[in-house]
Amino acid sequence: MPKFQDVVQKWRNTPAHKFRQKDRELCIQIGSACIDQGETAKVLDFIKEEQNQGIVKALGLGLLQPLVREIVRRRRNPVHCEAAVSHLVQTLKPKELFDNLLGQLEDCDPGAIGETVICLLPLLKTVLLRLGGGKGQSVGAVLEAAQKQVSRLPVPYTRQQEKVDAHGLSRCCTALLDFIQPFVEEVKKGDSKKGGPSAAKGPANDELRADIVQFCMMGLREPLLQAVLQGRNSSFWTFATGIMAILPAIEKPLPVLLFYQPMGKGEEPISKAASYSVESRACLAYLLFVQLIAMETFPAIFCPVFVLQCNMDYVKLLFTRKDESWLTKGLDLCEKSLERVEDSSLPVEILELRAFYTVPQNLVEIMTVCPMKHLKTRGLHVFQLFIDKLNGEAKHRFFRCMLKTSHHAGVEGIVIKNTKNQVDPAKCGKVSCWFSGEHLLSMLQLILSLPQGPQTDLLQGMDRVMESLNLLRFLLIKEKEQSSSKSMWAELCKLSDSYRKVLRVCLSMSRTYYSSELKTLRENQKNKAKEIREALKLKKPVREINVRDEKLSNMSAVEQHQVLQCAMVTFDLMDSLVVRIEELTEDRAT
Amino acid sequence: MTAEEVTSEGQTVPIVGEDITPKKDGGVLKLVKKEGTGAEMPMTGDKVFVHYVGTLLDGSKFDSSRDRGEKFNFELGKGQVIKAWDIGVATMRIGEVSQLVCKPEYAYGAAGSPPKIPPNATLVFEVELFEFHGEDVTEAEDGGIIRRILTKGEGYSKPNEGAAVEVSIEGRHDERVFDERELKFELGDGENLDLPPAVEKALLNMEKGEEALFTVKPKYGYGSTGKAKFNIPGGATLQYKIKLTTFEKAKESWEMNTDEKLEQSSIVKDKGTQYFKDGKYKQASVQYKRIISWLEHESSLKGEDEEKAKALRLAAHLNLAMCFLKIQEHSQALENCDKALELDGTNEKALFRRGESLFGLKEYERARTDFTRITVLYPANRAARAQVCVCQKHIKEQHDKDKRLYAGMFQKFADRDAKVTDTKGKEKENGDGDSMDVAENGAAEQTAA
Repeated sequence: MPKFQDVVQKWRNTPAHKFRQKDRELCIQIGSACIDQGETAKVLDFIKEEQNQGIVKALGLGLLQPLVREIVRRRRNPVHCEAAVSHLVQTLKPKELFDNLLGQLEDCDPGAIGETVICLLPLLKTVLLRLGGGKGQSVGAVLEAAQKQVSRLPVPYTRQQEKVDAHGLSRCCTALLDFIQPFVEEVKKGDSKKGGPSAAKGPANDELRADIVQFCMMGLREPLLQAVLQGRNSSFWTFATGIMAILPAIEKPLPVLLFYQPMGKGEEPISKAASYSVESRACLAYLLFVQLIAMETFPAIFCPVFVLQCNMDYVKLLFTRKDESWLTKGLDLCEKSLERVEDSSLPVEILELRAFYTVPQNLVEIMTVCPMKHLKTRGLHVFQLFIDKLNGEAKHRFFRCMLKTSHHAGVEGIVIKNTKNQVDPAKCGKVSCWFSGEHLLSMLQLILSLPQGPQTDLLQGMDRVMESLNLLRFLLIKEKEQSSSKSMWAELCKLSDSYRKVLRVCLSMSRTYYSSELKTLRENQKNKAKEIREALKLKKPVREINVRDEKLSNMSAVEQHQVLQCAMVTFDLMDSLVVRIEELTEDRAT
Repeated sequence: MTAEEVTSEGQTVPIVGEDITPKKDGGVLKLVKKEGTGAEMPMTGDKVFVHYVGTLLDGSKFDSSRDRGEKFNFELGKGQVIKAWDIGVATMRIGEVSQLVCKPEYAYGAAGSPPKIPPNATLVFEVELFEFHGEDVTEAEDGGIIRRILTKGEGYSKPNEGAAVEVSIEGRHDERVFDERELKFELGDGENLDLPPAVEKALLNMEKGEEALFTVKPKYGYGSTGKAKFNIPGGATLQYKIKLTTFEKAKESWEMNTDEKLEQSSIVKDKGTQYFKDGKYKQASVQYKRIISWLEHESSLKGEDEEKAKALRLAAHLNLAMCFLKIQEHSQALENCDKALELDGTNEKALFRRGESLFGLKEYERARTDFTRITVLYPANRAARAQVCVCQKHIKEQHDKDKRLYAGMFQKFADRDAKVTDTKGKEKENGDGDSMDVAENGAAEQTAA
């Protein structure tokens, strides 16, 4: 490149202030061409050449972008490019470098977000450290830009995906933590210099602190709220641990963040920005109480009921989104917070708190509507745990409300089973006064009735009816043995009689309906088999047969057959229970 | 003073001290290690600042605020901390250092607190009280309303905006009682009863049966003008003693079945409309919000009921939007219009009010889109057509402003462009006055549904 040599010679003799735009463009052009052709070693030599330092100072900035682009692309071994960049970052003016690199970070190639962030953050760190005291809000600007980019990356779902880290999210998290560390130290140093924690600190320090807090809160929401934490060696775990250590270190104690921030007193969050940080705090609560990250530095003084109260608000928030990651976190947090509370200790007044009636409703929704089986099972477990923690009066009220509003036989079945456990001293220690006498009767009135009277579909309502019959039989046996008060017995028999009557009618109707259903199904199957045989003979395609019952229509014929068979068996069981109950009431009467 | 020395194996901390539990069951034993200086002890609800070191009976340390290097603070007597602390710290004076030996029933009980505290553990704390002060109940935490609780209330719930309360109030200024009344009113209505904002703010933070003293800065009292009726000068700090005797707790959604919800919603809607007509937009919005909270998640509705619920929700969102427009809360108005449009995508009022909200938020382009849509869907709506023009003007003006801004940046072109934009800008300023009138008219035409 003879011409190039001439140009270089000319540039070497040009004083710093005489360089023109034309020169800059030419430098970028030549540089880019070299890099594109893989002549990166030459570029490096040129930049390092002692005689060229004047040129580098004047024109070098233009080479940064092509060099970074080459590193990010990873087409060839980037070792020369990296050396060239680090030389430039050390020699050029930090202010100019910062603007250039931040600009690159802000509009990085959407196809290479991860790589770009990973490449640029260490460079920006070096530049900012060179800037020293004059960096102002630059740290915040970098963090904001980087997080904006990182939030566009997909969050891995499986362990494998996280390991492969195709989009670089895990490595970005590591790079972010790396980047922020010296600035955390700076804030800490500033704090200790100015004396005790209550002493006034420099505004610059507080600005930096605010930027770091903002970063931590953002990080908690994105990616951590979405991420599945898979054990201690996951990079998200490291990221979470890092953030949880930074916050208290810069005087944002975790209890203050979790418990003493206005949740948006009143109904709505104060503003959009504030609600953002409520989500971050929900994730913080999850990391602390479920994953036990930073638990060793958390005060062990708080009353479990208070912690539960605060966390329920976060659980409520986590249940508002129907994402698996949010629901799982909500369920986990709810479970862990409940576990710390003593059984039968929550008073009835606590049910007046919004979260304490919204969360159980959400749990019911998860149990009944959510398509994911493992979440359903977890939902049921947490729902039962919630019931266990309520005291007698609270259980009584909660059960009545559930019977009235859940509209789901399965849930009603659970509630009725729990009622039985309350009445059964063997199961819960002592009989709570809320589950005997008058209080029990008021509950029984709700339990011993059928939602749609004789028209109730007993197949759908099976869980509820079976549990209620079990309870009734249990109560009759118990009352008979104890023969406590006459009036209780009389009331029980009255309730039992009217319930039995409706149930009898209902049973015979359901039996007729479902046995005809079963017959149709069998015939359909026979026809189908016949058709297949004929089709085989004639080698015709088999026509699909529609089954009449719509409720069962998305099951296979075999499954339908099983369900109907099972229903018939259950009806028999109900029948025998009804007979047994009848005997019990008559026995005492005679 | 009782002192029982129990020495079991591995135990290094002697169980000694005065039994300070109300039940006298020995659950919390206190031993003063250093006497305090202050005369006063903290009151229920006070914010207290302490340092502490917690150990198990075998002497192993499980927690220490001193190691963390920051004082621990909490609100006393509210069940935020383990029982032993609520009892123990309430007996301390500033500067005092005490040892509290806490039985599991007053600490973490049979469950323990994993991973630090095993089940059924007796805990020993050495606590030093540094300072305490009344709790600040203002949202801004600017020290404007400080509470000292005299009698703790019961339950967990507090009255919310719009709730009917029964209270006794005693207001003092410099030892002079200026206002002493027993009142029944709905929160939000206090102004008409000559109550300063502080009283309502205080009540929102009180529990049933609570009695408390409030120190009120002028900002939340009668301000710089004072109150002639009570002979209060401007800039006066007031003292209020308030007792919340009781308040109406609205039946919450989960206690109602579908029919009850629909029935209550209709009642509440009428209530809201009445408030709206009286110009009480805040109270009205409270009522409409209740409808939404009741019906929003009602998924079991069918047929006629579903239609009814939908109509009620739509009306509630539309009216809420109107309320928020009236009190200039444009972003909340916008939110409700969006919700209304989710229910009915071409609703005329929803579109119009969204246009107004967007206009209020200076989003003229989006506002114009909404108004234009109305003119297409409902050609008879003249107000919308007028609004389109107004938006047009504002968009143009903003555009010109931007131009001027950039002109400043690119000095080269500034001179040439400046003349043109300046004259245009002046024209626009004149046009602005007209446009606001039209906006008002447009709003007036749309009344609450």
